[in-house]
Amino acid sequence: MMSSWLDYTINGLIVGNVYALVAVGLALIFGVSRLINFAQGSIYLVGAYIGWVAVVQLHTPLPLTIIIVAAASALVGLIIERFGLRPLQNSVRIAPLLATIGISFVLDQLVMLTFSPNPRALPSQLPDVRFQVGGGTIGPLDLLIAGVGLTSALLLFVFLRYSKLGWAVRATAQDRDAAMQMGVDVNRVNQAVFGIAAALGGVSGLLVGMYYNQIDTAMSLQATLKGVVAEVVGGAGNVPGAVIGSLLLGLVESYGVAVFGTSYRNLFAFLLLVVVLVLRPNGLFASARQGPPEPLTGTFIAPSRPVRIPRWALLVAAAIFAILPFFPVSFYVLQTMINAWLLGMLALSLTLVAGTIGQVSLGHAALLAIGAYTSALLSLTFSAPVGVAIIGGGLMSAALGTALISPSFRLRGHYVSIATLAIGEIVSLVILNWESVTRGPIGISGIPPLSLFGYELVSPTSIYWFSFIVMVVLALLQARLLGSHLGRSFRAIRDDDIAARAYGLSLNRYKSLAFIFGGFAAGISGGIAAHLYSYINHETFNTQQSILALTVVILGGLGNVVGAIVGAVALVGLPEVFRVAAEYRILIYGIVLLLLVRFRPQGLLGTM
Amino acid sequence: MSNIDRRTLVKGSLAAMMASAAFSRSAFAQSSEPILLGVSGPLTGPNAQYGTQWKQGFDLALDAILADGGINGRKLAYSFEDSQSDPRQSVAIAQKFVSDPRIVLELGDFSSPASMAASPIYQRAGLVQFGFTNSHPDFTKGGDFMWSTSVSQADEQPLLAAYAVKKLGLKKLAVLHLNTDWGRTSRDYFVNAAKEYGAEIAVTEGYIAEERDFRSTLVRVRDSNPDGLILISYYSDGALIARQARQVGLKQVICAASSVYSPKFLELGGEAVEDVHVGTRYFPEDPRPEVQKFIAGFKKKYNGLEPDAFNAYAYDAMNMAAAVVKIGGTDRRAVRDAFMKVKDVPSVIFGAATFDVASRRVKGAMNAELVVRKGQFALWDGKPT
Repeated sequence: MMSSWLDYTINGLIVGNVYALVAVGLALIFGVSRLINFAQGSIYLVGAYIGWVAVVQLHTPLPLTIIIVAAASALVGLIIERFGLRPLQNSVRIAPLLATIGISFVLDQLVMLTFSPNPRALPSQLPDVRFQVGGGTIGPLDLLIAGVGLTSALLLFVFLRYSKLGWAVRATAQDRDAAMQMGVDVNRVNQAVFGIAAALGGVSGLLVGMYYNQIDTAMSLQATLKGVVAEVVGGAGNVPGAVIGSLLLGLVESYGVAVFGTSYRNLFAFLLLVVVLVLRPNGLFASARQGPPEPLTGTFIAPSRPVRIPRWALLVAAAIFAILPFFPVSFYVLQTMINAWLLGMLALSLTLVAGTIGQVSLGHAALLAIGAYTSALLSLTFSAPVGVAIIGGGLMSAALGTALISPSFRLRGHYVSIATLAIGEIVSLVILNWESVTRGPIGISGIPPLSLFGYELVSPTSIYWFSFIVMVVLALLQARLLGSHLGRSFRAIRDDDIAARAYGLSLNRYKSLAFIFGGFAAGISGGIAAHLYSYINHETFNTQQSILALTVVILGGLGNVVGAIVGAVALVGLPEVFRVAAEYRILIYGIVLLLLVRFRPQGLLGTM
Repeated sequence: MSNIDRRTLVKGSLAAMMASAAFSRSAFAQSSEPILLGVSGPLTGPNAQYGTQWKQGFDLALDAILADGGINGRKLAYSFEDSQSDPRQSVAIAQKFVSDPRIVLELGDFSSPASMAASPIYQRAGLVQFGFTNSHPDFTKGGDFMWSTSVSQADEQPLLAAYAVKKLGLKKLAVLHLNTDWGRTSRDYFVNAAKEYGAEIAVTEGYIAEERDFRSTLVRVRDSNPDGLILISYYSDGALIARQARQVGLKQVICAASSVYSPKFLELGGEAVEDVHVGTRYFPEDPRPEVQKFIAGFKKKYNGLEPDAFNAYAYDAMNMAAAVVKIGGTDRRAVRDAFMKVKDVPSVIFGAATFDVASRRVKGAMNAELVVRKGQFALWDGKPT
């Protein structure tokens, strides 16, 4: 059906249009600060709600609405830059990334608390005329969105190329210190960039909200995810590239739906990303002249002096936690600690691949899912003893995780994060669609409880000890590994991969080894969780868990084994402690996270 | 501020410690204290809107229960713990509730992963988990302490299929469903029933909850030449699909599951949801006194706001909980047994609700065939659209 293909193409371009608005803002910020701004989706959310206030409460006409939204969003962007990011400009490169995650928590929660989480209608202020194109129609909003996307990309291109401030922006992007030396006011440049990007983000939230006649507080993460994909496909930091990347993303999704059906849509989006990254690691439209997108040597994860904890203190702490169930603590406290130990295992895994060897993964929940499904299916389908099934889960996670990630071994810095993010999403979507094995959205229920040598571990006390011991063993193994020759090689690769290669280290082999160890620990954690929960489906281990894991690891100090565990206890414990604050707890959590990043950017215990 | 917080916090954890130290299965008989129910549900995170709707329904029901003299003279109250629909948090909440001797019954959680992860804990501790929105067919198989008033999709979907096929005379259907455990289960029941009634299924398309753009999906739908679209959706995605279907020029009859029944569906869908048919469990003009009391009370309490399906589920669940606790008292095991004894509890969704002891669910949901006319839900008059 030829006409249908025309419709799929038009629909793809229409959606790509929508993605482009977010992607352009992300590209601009990345171009200058080499930062993936995870708060961009939140600014988009803020813009949508400010637009709602303007349209529904104040009844402003559309041009005025756009100006109000742009101004207010720009103000939010300036505040973020001034108070969230500028204090971090001389700290480790990873700190601002974490700060943007914290800021997005805070903004999303503020919007939710102010406007309630119920979705709202945001009526379009344009006349409802439809133009027939192919078998479908397009409306004035489609044209307006396309116009805003293209015009802003073009304006930005001209601004960056021909205006004085634009030169300053580009100079800052290339070499911050040199720009400063030449008299560029770097802070003003950053302010300008954040202001423009935020205004764009806010307006895009407004227009997309009108487009769907619907805004709700869950739209922020999705916008960030799709925007990041589109931006990276186009070449991170490249503004016209971001527009083309977005259109391409929209087309691939639309054709994916056409050929395989709706439930495969996002699978194609993320596959596109992985393929582009593998074939053209700098994105489709990175020019050859462009320097390497990331620092050549290890400034992405700057070494800091780790806090040395004396051996006796660790022993005392371990002993106290080991005998915790003998104190009059409630099962609730024990269950919370079990969660912390399970997250601790995941964090050990991530701190090894992200901290020690420098592959900052944003899709680590996929390893949990692989471990959990393997263990659940082994015990249910093959009646394997639970202990054996969990180890099987660990091994499968190690093998499959390493195999999946291996195409992205040639990537560096942020690109690794984006590729792993995509791989994580792909794993989750495969679980959703591979019904004959995973039972799709129905999930797997009736997973047998934890047991060891024929004894069921069902009381919180026994599960507590079990998970604590497993975590301690994994931690000791990892500490032993890091102290060995292998650990030194890992760090050498992280700090300077060219020097490491010159020394004869095979990068791929060492990266594989790190993922095998890391995958095993994560898979074990997922396996235990599956038997603890008794029911899992594709939503059990989601993107938020990946982001949480990364937060834990950065908070604890990258590569730091004890730090990973401390971070896990803190990030499981804090939201529980803040329960007294009810709806406000995630807001408080976000603020605490921001303060921690502000005052301990190298992590609580420092990078190893 | 921080001082106060810390103090309450210390007090809270001390109290929790003492409570667990003094934990015993026989609940304290302090008659001045309210009888406490635990609620585990999303107040933040992507499903926060549903937790908010639960609260509205609960509070309305509690007002009436209190006005009627409470439970044998004692007040009924609930403690709502935010789980974000995250299984990690719902299991911790489960431990919190089971070790709090004041809690006699638990309600929730919202999503299946969060609810069913907590089930083993409730089952082992012997505290009823009353999952009133848990339609997953395996939920009540978690044990004899898992009970649900969620309308079984095995009941609901054949009703919808009958509406679409027998009443509206649709012969070739395109089914769009949320690709979650609920949507998938519903789709299967719907497809079976529709085929049984003689309709053909042209295409089924599952979409993820975060999806907002359905244009390409609708091209697939168009190419399969259906004479009707079936939406197994919630109100927000249902409204999006209806809008985009009309925008791309699909003029087929749209028939949607009861979960779109919300004033928000009308607000978000605008003109596009005009003439959409909805099979629901109750409707505003329903003369049954429990429905009239619910709708009038809701509008009065929430400034004229129309209640929706999730409000009704929560309202019914709280009334059911009250009826059960009236019989079972504060002993957890007796509360479980009371679920088997409780009979003909007036409810919005089921009329007189009685549990089927074998499945631990309520059968026989009410049925109303509505259509959107002039921006309002109205009883379908039998005229084709």
